[in-house]
Parts: sequence; structure tokens; C-alpha cells
Amino acid sequence: MRRYLSMTALLVGALVFLFPFYYMVVGSLQESPDTTVRGALPLGGWTLDNYAAINGRVDLVRSLLNSAIFTGGVMLGTVVFGVLAGYALARLHFRGRGTLFAVMLLVQIVPFQLLIIPIYVMVVRYYGLADSYLGMIAPFAINSTAVFIFRQFFLQLPDDLFAAAQLDGASELRILWSIALPLVRPALLTAMLLTFIGPWNEFLWPFLVTKDTELQPLAVTLANYISNIAGRAANPFGAILAGAVVLAAPAVALFVAFQRRFTDLNLGSGVKG
Amino acid sequence: MLQKVFGRQPLGAVFAAPYAVFLVLVFAYPLGLAVWISFHDYFFAAPGAVVERPFVGLANYRTVLGDPDVRRSFVNVAIFLVINVPLTVGLSIVLATALNSVARLRTFLRVSYYVPYVTASVALVAVWLFLFSSGGLVNQVLGPLAPDPSWLVNAGLAMPVIAVFVTWKSLGFFILLYLAALQGVSGDLYDAASVDGASPVRRFWHVTVPGVRSATTLVVILATITGANLFTEPYLLTNGGGPDGASTSPVFVMYQKGIEQGNPDVASAIGVVLVLLVLTISLVNRKLLERD
Amino acid sequence: MNRRLVTGTALALTLGLTAACGGGGDAEEARGATGPIKIWLSNNPEEIAWGEQMVEAWNDANPDQEVTAQEIPAGKTSEEVIGAAITAGNAPCLVFNTSPAAVPQFQKQGGLVALDDFEDGAAYVEERSGDLATQYRSPDEKYYQIPWKQNPVMIFYNKALFEKAGIDAENPPLSTYDEFVATSKKLVDAGVSKAAIYPAPTSEFFQSWFDFYPLYAAESGGSQTIEDGTATFDDEAGTAVWDFWAQLYAEGLSPKEKYDGDSFADGVAAMSVVGPWAVKVYGESVDWGVVPVPTSQGTPAEETYTFSDAKNVALYSACDNQETAWEVLKFATSEEQDGQLLELTGQMPIRDDLTGTYPDYFEANPAYETFADQASRTVEVPNVPNSVEIWQEIRDNYSRSVIFGEAPVADSLTAAADKATELAGQE
Repeated sequence: MRRYLSMTALLVGALVFLFPFYYMVVGSLQESPDTTVRGALPLGGWTLDNYAAINGRVDLVRSLLNSAIFTGGVMLGTVVFGVLAGYALARLHFRGRGTLFAVMLLVQIVPFQLLIIPIYVMVVRYYGLADSYLGMIAPFAINSTAVFIFRQFFLQLPDDLFAAAQLDGASELRILWSIALPLVRPALLTAMLLTFIGPWNEFLWPFLVTKDTELQPLAVTLANYISNIAGRAANPFGAILAGAVVLAAPAVALFVAFQRRFTDLNLGSGVKG
Repeated sequence: MLQKVFGRQPLGAVFAAPYAVFLVLVFAYPLGLAVWISFHDYFFAAPGAVVERPFVGLANYRTVLGDPDVRRSFVNVAIFLVINVPLTVGLSIVLATALNSVARLRTFLRVSYYVPYVTASVALVAVWLFLFSSGGLVNQVLGPLAPDPSWLVNAGLAMPVIAVFVTWKSLGFFILLYLAALQGVSGDLYDAASVDGASPVRRFWHVTVPGVRSATTLVVILATITGANLFTEPYLLTNGGGPDGASTSPVFVMYQKGIEQGNPDVASAIGVVLVLLVLTISLVNRKLLERD
Repeated sequence: MNRRLVTGTALALTLGLTAACGGGGDAEEARGATGPIKIWLSNNPEEIAWGEQMVEAWNDANPDQEVTAQEIPAGKTSEEVIGAAITAGNAPCLVFNTSPAAVPQFQKQGGLVALDDFEDGAAYVEERSGDLATQYRSPDEKYYQIPWKQNPVMIFYNKALFEKAGIDAENPPLSTYDEFVATSKKLVDAGVSKAAIYPAPTSEFFQSWFDFYPLYAAESGGSQTIEDGTATFDDEAGTAVWDFWAQLYAEGLSPKEKYDGDSFADGVAAMSVVGPWAVKVYGESVDWGVVPVPTSQGTPAEETYTFSDAKNVALYSACDNQETAWEVLKFATSEEQDGQLLELTGQMPIRDDLTGTYPDYFEANPAYETFADQASRTVEVPNVPNSVEIWQEIRDNYSRSVIFGEAPVADSLTAAADKATELAGQE
């Protein structure tokens, strides 16, 4: 009985969470907006015109590719250098560790908007990286929140595990690769998900650094479409919602595919072992 | 010798070096520049332009603290945090515990709670605007109970709506953190509690909550920080901090002053004040939550 | 933990303090140089069409000085993008969408070239635009922008909706404030439209240009918000305008919530504050009529002032081939290209004797003649320091008292005016 109650509550909650998405998709497929209660369950007036309108003004494939390069670069940087740093912060004693950790925390506290203009000047003026993928990736290259998560998880691993490996004469790199990493796989996935979302949805930075539409990622292209072009479309509401769907769909789809992999993990055993 | 300079395990310095260099370049240097700017009469100039940027001491800070708009924005964000943080912590720990125990529809349920988190604010704000406008679905459902003025133009409701939006949007991430932490809570403890005949509510309070305490610290700190950096929602959802400044945030005011009005010095001063406040709150949180 | 955070912060600061500001110029060299240049265009389809034909015509005649055109990388406002580009040193040579309100800031940044530095600079500007040109001169008596085109603001009304509400659609009573309010009430009471008129109730600094400022220009007989460094609008005219709008909001004739989409095209509002661009946009879909903005006493149309909503062209200091840029600027604002602009966009070039210069056009398109006539009586935003900040201050106070009724109009008006005077006096 109690189980059913909690299941029902979870299901109702899930519907509340999903409803705006449902509403977004339905609205994007309508000829004209209808905000009445009946409008949430439309029976007719279906159309793909809103999507056609976007596709006519924006090079979707190109923007998607740019988003993929931008996001991929950030994820690569985070997984390689971030894991190393997280491991060092959690498990290795070296001079400057405390300072590095403090700076890492500080990074999370300081709003990006405070840094954006100095960074912009540096990236564009000093390094000449305007209108380049490298310039887009640079400020995000290693996600500090991900480093923090890596560190927390490496920290949770039992000390005995490492002591034993060290006694066997394994090198640090080897311990990291074959002992620590497999144990923190859920953290790795969580951190990668988090890292993915940042650049995928980031608007302000790529918008500032790329003036060339050929290089702009999807979030910029669509925000631009929504704020400047959709107003002239036949059905602005529909066009805006269609833009929202196009922006949301790849992230949600990738996430659903990715999600399958970490619900099935048996996280407990290794740590308790 | 190596160990003298780099510490007991010098390899650590090697592992951490790329990250350290990265932080210096894209964080420490710009942050230092921002702080420097906040003590000068600074504006952005074209390369090569000869301009004067005299040291002005605390003048920018005085401007900031004396500006009612800035004070308003800090009050707004405090309102936001008071609603958002407890709601986030409470909902995410309860939902994570519930999700952890169900066997059926696992994937569907988890995905439902995560999707708002993975979706761009730009996209979600579009739907919320549609839902919460005066003729929108929410008011249609409420009928005569609909607030007047409507949600997003009601000075008393704009900030709460934003707080709920952000809770909804970011809950997935915090559930994820709790789910990971729950795997670390020993099953033996639950078994022992069950044998003692503890009710599920008791088990939740006496086993789960203490068991995920370190995750709670993380959640509270991260939620506070994201809340303090609130920008996109007042920018897009309430059209620039409306109505009548009831939903401005410090970062939004920074954007207005720094980028729109060309006063990066004042904007930097706001940023520094904000950072100091968040730093204090985080340290206090940490102290309170981690004492054993 | 505490100590380390402090160390970390200190480290971050020290590193930052070593920041040096790079620079060094070859400005003199650029002044006389010719060669390829880049320009930015506004991003509406009509202006892009104009820009493309202009660039093509220039490039055909000057293959050695090729012009490359691009849409302004769009954000919420073009001014942010241009300001950032100036800072980074990668602004284009010419931007055909420079807002006069942003010029003081760009000038302070060292981002603009004074046109007076070219031998025929000032003379060209003044000859083309006549008396209207002086409004665009900066406080140092130089031109950092060429007054290019304007969209004099007027009121469009939907004839079909007016008829439905039983209002004379050919001579609607919209001249005085009392008439305007009475007509608005009639429209909303008759249920023909949700709103009588629907200016954006949001708080972006530029929104006041489309509710407060045009009416203030009309009511005051052509006064700017700031003259000789002092705010003018805390007077009878300013109070009348704010009270007028406050009444519309208080009686629910203008909604307080932003409308996503085009309220006039959708029939949600029966009237709209527009410029001549509206003729092309609504020409087919709405049966419209146009009247000047109202005044308290009902000023005759031929004496009514309004806000110009001008967009200008400026030459940016990052440009390497400024001689070419100046020649292109003159080419793009020549009589022929201005004619093309009128033809393709319906926006009004800021030229002396507009109707006399293009008689054929106005004969063929009588819809534009009203706007062309209005174009000779326009008021620009004042060219003063901290312009954007001043407009934000006005907007915030307006929003508080007029739109949301949270404060008395008189208090907010005084607060806005005092702050504006103070800001205009700062360097």
C-alpha cells in the first residue's frame, strides 16, 4: 500500500516535470496559439510550418556541428585534465594543494559575468582567438565543478585500497587508471553530464566571441532566431516554441541514451568491498 | 630535493599542473583585473586609445552601496535563496530516496526529473512565459483564483515564480548527487533499523539524512552559489528584472551597469561585494553542516 | 580551510595586478589608407537587401577597395555587440545601425573617428542633412556619426476595429489626451480589442523612446530631454505626458505585461506606436490609418513634433583603411543610395527637403508622405555623457510610477530629472 502511494506521488511529480515539455512540443506544432485549457489537448490545427520557418532562416546542421565541436572540446579537456587534477587534489600530497583547492572553490563562487569582459579582452585581443573554436572552448576547457566532484569521489574511496596497491608497487598513474577510475565511474558520468550541459546551453560566451555565423553553436543561433527573427514569423509563439524544441531535443535525446548506462551500474559493491 | 619543492608526492603537482595553469589564465588573472578595475575609474577603451584611469579608492563601492537598485537586487536574491535552497534540498533528498527504492519505471521516472536540468534556460523560459502570462494556461486553470496582477508582473510573485522555476530546472542535478550519495549509505544500517521496527519516516530521518550529510553540504553550497549568480531568468522571464525591479539580481545589475551602460568599474564593485557575501555564506554553511 | 581560501584569493589578486594594458596605435597611417573594408548592416531583410545592392554597386566601381558586408552579430541590442567589438579592437569600419544614444559611450571608448578629421567631413554632413544635423553633433562640436535615416514615430490605428467600435475611422478623435482616452475606452469597452494601445511595458532603457519621449517631444514643442546639460522634462509637459500614460495603464487600456508577438498585427491592440517601416510590415494585413502622437491640447498635425528613432552610420577607429571607409560612407548616403533606401525599406533618409528630392517616390507611395512630412519635425536623444544610464534611470522611474502606479508621478519625475542632470554633468 505504502509503496503504491510513493509510486503514485513519484508519477504525479514526473508528470508535473514533463508537462512544460509536452506543452512546448504541442505548441510548436500548432497553427495558432491557444492558451485555454482545451488548447493543451488540441485536436486539430497541426502543422510543421513553424519548423519550416526556422529551417528557412537558419543553418541547423552547421550550428549543430558547431555545438558538438564546442561541447566535445570542453568534455575532452575536462575528462583528461580534470580527472588528473581531481585525483591529485584528493589523493596526493604536494605543495600548493590547499591553495589550488581553495582557488577551485572560489571559481564556483565568482559569477562568470564578472570575468567575462576581462576574459573577452584577453582571448580576443591578446591571444587573437576571436571567431575560432579554440577561443570558444578556452574559458570552459576544464570544468571546475567536475573537478570538485571527481575530488569528492576519489576522497570517499577507502584508504586501504590505495595502501594495498602501493605495497604491490603500482605506480600512481596505474592506481588511478585501474583502481580508482573504475570505482568512480558513476561520478565520472555525473560529471560528464554536467560538463556537457554547460557548453551545450551556453549562450553569452560563444555569442560574444563569434561574430561569424558559420561558427555559432545552436544555442546562439536559436536565441538569435527567437529574439530577432521569430517576431516576423506568421505565428511567433509557435516559432519560438519550435526553436525551443530544436534546442532542447538533442540534449534530451543524448541524455536519455546516456542515462541508460548509469542507472544499471552497480555502484555499491566496489566501494563497500 | 624534488620533494622539498613540490611536497611529499611531487607527481601530484604534475597531475594538477594543467588545471593550475588553466585557472591562472582564465580565472585568477581576469578576477584580479576585475578587482583592480573596481578601484579605478575604469571604462573600456579601444586598443591604442589614450585614456586616463585614475585610482579612486572606494568610490565605486560607495556608489554601489548607496544605489537603491543594487540594494534591491541583493534583497531580491535573498528572497530567492530563502525559497529556493530549502525547497531544493528538501525535494531532492525526498525524491532521490523515493527513486532509489522503486524498481519499476525507473528509467522513465529518472529521465522525467532530469530533463529540465539538461535543457537550456532559453528554451524553458519560452514555455514558462507561455504558461504564466496573464492569459496563460495556469491562470486559465485557476480561473477566478488567478493573481491580479498576473504572476510575472506582480511585484510580490515574480521572484517566487523565478525561485520555483530554478528549483524545477535544477532539481535533476541535485537528485543525481543524492542518488550517488545514497549508494554509499550502508544497507546494514537500514536492515538494523528495520529489525528495530523503525517506521520508514524514522529510517529516513535517522539513517538516510545523516548518511548523505556530505552531499547535503555540497547541495546547499552549490544551490546558494547558483542562486547568487542568477541572471538568465530575470533577463528573459521577467524581461529585465521587472516588474519595477522586483526581480533584478546582482548579476543582472552588473550586466546592466557594466555592459549596457559602460561602467565596468561599478559593475566590478558589485561583483566583488557579491563574491564576498557568497564566500561568507558558504563558509558558514560548511561550518554548520559539517560539524560532527 | 579559511587560511587557504585567503591565500588563494591573494594569489588570484596578485596575478591579476600584474595585468598591463596593451596598446599602441597606427592611427595616423590608417586615416589616409585605402583598401578592402568590412561593414555591418542591421538584420532586417529590407535593410540587408539595400546593403547588398549598395555594396555590389560600390565593388563594381572600385574592385581594388572591396567592401564585405555582414549582418550585425545579433544580441538583445546591437550596442552591446559594438561596444564589445570596440574593446576587443575588432569592430568593422562602418556600422549602418549606430544608435545615437550609444555614440557618447563609443566616443569615450575611443572607438569612433570624428568625421571632421576628413577635409570635407563636417561640410558633407551639414549639407546633406541641413538643420537636423546639429542635433547629432557631440559636445566637442564634432560629428562622430552621420545622421543617416529616421523612423519618425506616429500612431497607427486599425480601421476595421475602430468601425466595429462605432468610431469614425477616417477622422478618429485621437488628437487631445481626453479624446485619446475616451476613444481608447470605447474600443476596450466595445470588446473589439483587449488593449487600446500596447507599448512594451518592459524596462529596457530604450523603451521610453516609444511611449514617453515622442509624446514629450510633441507636448513641449520639440524639446529634448536634456538641454544645456540640464534635464527639461520635470515640467508641465513632462507631467502631462506621464499622467496621460498613467491613466491608460491604471484603467487597463494598456496592459502591464509584455506581449510576445505583434499585438497590432494580431488585433490584440487597436493602436500602435510605429515608424514608416510599419507601412511595409502591416500594409497587406491590416487596414490601417495614421495620426500624429496626441498632445494635451491637440496640436495640429503640421506642428507636432515626435521622436526620430534615427539610426546612423559611424566610422570606427579599428578601421585600417579609413579613407576608403569615408568614401564608402559618402557613396552609401548619396542621393542615389538614399533613394534606394527609401524604395527598399520605406525608412526616411535624414536629408534636407526629403519630399522635394524624391517627388516621384512620394507620388507613387502616398502612404509615406505623412511620415516624410513628420520627418521634418523630429527630436533626437540628447548627445550627452552617460546617455544609456540616463535613459535607464528615466525608464525605471517611469515604470515605477506610470506603469505600476507604485509611486506618485510627480516624485518619480523629479527623481528621474535630478539624476539625469547629475549624470549628464559627469564626464
